[in-house]
Amino acid sequence: MTAPFPTPKTDEAQRLLSPEELEAALRDIGARRYHNLHPFHRLLHDGKLNKDQVRAWALNRYYYQAMIPVKDAAVLARMTDASLRRVWRQRIVDHDGDAPGDGGIERWLKLAEGVGFARDYVESTHGILSATRFSVDAYVHFVKERSLLEAIASSLTEMFSPTIISERVAGMLKNYDFITKDTLAYFDKRLTQAPRDADFAIAYVKEHATTPALQRQAMDALTFKCNVLWTQLDALYFAYVAPGLIPPDAWTPGTGLVPEPAVLQAAGTGTLTAQDVPRLPRGVRLRHDAVRNQHVLLAPERTFDLDANAVAVLERVDGQRSVRDIAILLGETFTADPAVIEADILVMLNDLATKRVLER
Amino acid sequence: MNAITPNAPTLPAPVGLLAELTHRCPLRCPYCSNPLELDRRSGELDTATWQRVLTEAAGLGVLHVHLSGGEPTARNDIVEITATCAKLGLYSNLITSGVGGALQKLDALYDAGLDHVQLSVQGVDAANAEKIGGLKNAQPQKFAFAERVTQLGLPLTLNSVIHRGNIHEVEGFIELAVKLGAKRLEVAHTQYYGWAYVNRAALMPNKAEVDRSIRIVEAARERLKGQLVIDLVVPDYYAKYPKACAGGWGRKLMNVTPQGKVLPCHAAETIPNLEFWYVSDHSLGDIWANSPAFTAYRGTDWMKEPCRSCDRREKDWGGCRCQALALAGDAAATDPACSLSPLHAKVRDLATEEAAETPPDYVYRTIGSNVQPNVRTPLNEEAPL
Repeated sequence: MTAPFPTPKTDEAQRLLSPEELEAALRDIGARRYHNLHPFHRLLHDGKLNKDQVRAWALNRYYYQAMIPVKDAAVLARMTDASLRRVWRQRIVDHDGDAPGDGGIERWLKLAEGVGFARDYVESTHGILSATRFSVDAYVHFVKERSLLEAIASSLTEMFSPTIISERVAGMLKNYDFITKDTLAYFDKRLTQAPRDADFAIAYVKEHATTPALQRQAMDALTFKCNVLWTQLDALYFAYVAPGLIPPDAWTPGTGLVPEPAVLQAAGTGTLTAQDVPRLPRGVRLRHDAVRNQHVLLAPERTFDLDANAVAVLERVDGQRSVRDIAILLGETFTADPAVIEADILVMLNDLATKRVLER
Repeated sequence: MNAITPNAPTLPAPVGLLAELTHRCPLRCPYCSNPLELDRRSGELDTATWQRVLTEAAGLGVLHVHLSGGEPTARNDIVEITATCAKLGLYSNLITSGVGGALQKLDALYDAGLDHVQLSVQGVDAANAEKIGGLKNAQPQKFAFAERVTQLGLPLTLNSVIHRGNIHEVEGFIELAVKLGAKRLEVAHTQYYGWAYVNRAALMPNKAEVDRSIRIVEAARERLKGQLVIDLVVPDYYAKYPKACAGGWGRKLMNVTPQGKVLPCHAAETIPNLEFWYVSDHSLGDIWANSPAFTAYRGTDWMKEPCRSCDRREKDWGGCRCQALALAGDAAATDPACSLSPLHAKVRDLATEEAAETPPDYVYRTIGSNVQPNVRTPLNEEAPL
């Protein structure tokens, strides 16, 4: 990879970068390490993941979203300057909202619900991968334990997020029929919030990273944060894409979901196969109409005019013979290939089944 | 095609007979298709006459008999009449409210050979349904009735007449049909004749609600394919082309009133100066072929422009004569529900206007009521609109 602004090598780490050089070096870290480059994200945005893999992503990522205000509160607690706190506290408001039902966490829950999860299950975080928990917790510990400069620098991944968000929203809407614009409402807000936050953070870092060592710390903090994000996707890929090793206790497809609206399959309905035994249910009668001299199938509120072939089939539908039996019988009667007949009459019988005048 | 009389070599044979056995009904739905002047019990045909009518109908080529009313199970001889249908090979369809004595007679009707049950549901929410039907405690009776129908293995159709008082429940009707084990659901937007015409301002939904209901039905049809058949009747006033009323005047259906008057459609009596014949005076075949009411608007000879030269004239047969009379003041005019009618835009505006107003109270149907179309100004007095 040819980066225009390579990360300074160790031997030049002692050199003080200009603020512009520092920003370029930080952006270079993103260009090489931000998680939009991860194979899992490529699959996600290109529509190559199945619904369960998208669910695994939404479920795990919830923990990250939910811990962001905890992380920001930790950062806030270290700020002794009221003007700094006034700016930073907006991040907590953005995520928590001003009232129940509002804010980024809520919108992420909507996203998780949009892909089928039960809200309680998502909020419990019981199904997340340990690697998700470890990575996110490491981030929270990092901002508590390191300098304020490092804490703020670690948030600089937001400089890169607008690109990934627009790629993600466009790709997911295009590729997944279960994703709607409403489901992705979280990202709408982030498109304006993230650049505002990033502008403040980069200005702070440029102003306060005043020695080569501090500049080095800021770059390492951002690298660390990129790894926090990258590691989460590694774990998702390993568990849900390939080799598909889901750790014990982590979410498995089919669990934690809101039951799909029950479409009860009524007895006797569904697609007929050659082995099925079709029958005309009560309320459906084959009759000869003497006035018009033709056979008709009488059914609720409708009459089917039948041609000779249809009559030949329906006369043999007796609730005993399978579709295949009927095809064989017809093959004998009309000296024709029963396999061809079977295929034809399956189409006809399934058409009648769809209209609810034939059952099995 | 069969010749019924030598004079009319191309006369089609009727396929359906709507037998309005009685106008009595425990429900009082404000959109009832019965005439405003309801027949009284004392004037109803007796059992033997109905049996003769059914025999003649079978001979004419009728295949389906719709045992209707009012509430057909209010007749003491409903089981005998059903048995006659079965004996004649006629397909019997009981169109019922499911209340009153319906459940008590159901097993006997099953044994008599009843083919199909169409149960009306006025609403999904019980309070709403009972407000529309004008009868307390109707909903549980209907559900118990539906349960017994499916227990017996009879095919069940739910019929929901849709209007502004229940159009928000269309999803619910679909769910209810699945829950009750119905094979068919009719989502039938109100057609504005009879009592529905009187109550039109209370019933007319707006276009957005109508469109939404259509979208819901289309989605459900796909989702429930093979499980539930949903028939949709869209409201005329918002349609592009009119419906072929009763499959075309005097082409498919005959309607026999409780007193034995034979009509080409259930609202035909609203057209003045039509001469209807009675089964007591004529055979059904004679009435079908020669009664002035049937010949008046059969075929295309009676048509005016734009119908006369329209290439849809044998598709929708000019639409509904009763609606043409009610809205255009002329039963031989193009049905104003048709977008080719010069009055169409006004009809649509009128529907839009009424749907935007606060709905007035329902005028419930009642036997012996004095309700005449003067309850609201009939449009024919203002015609052309």
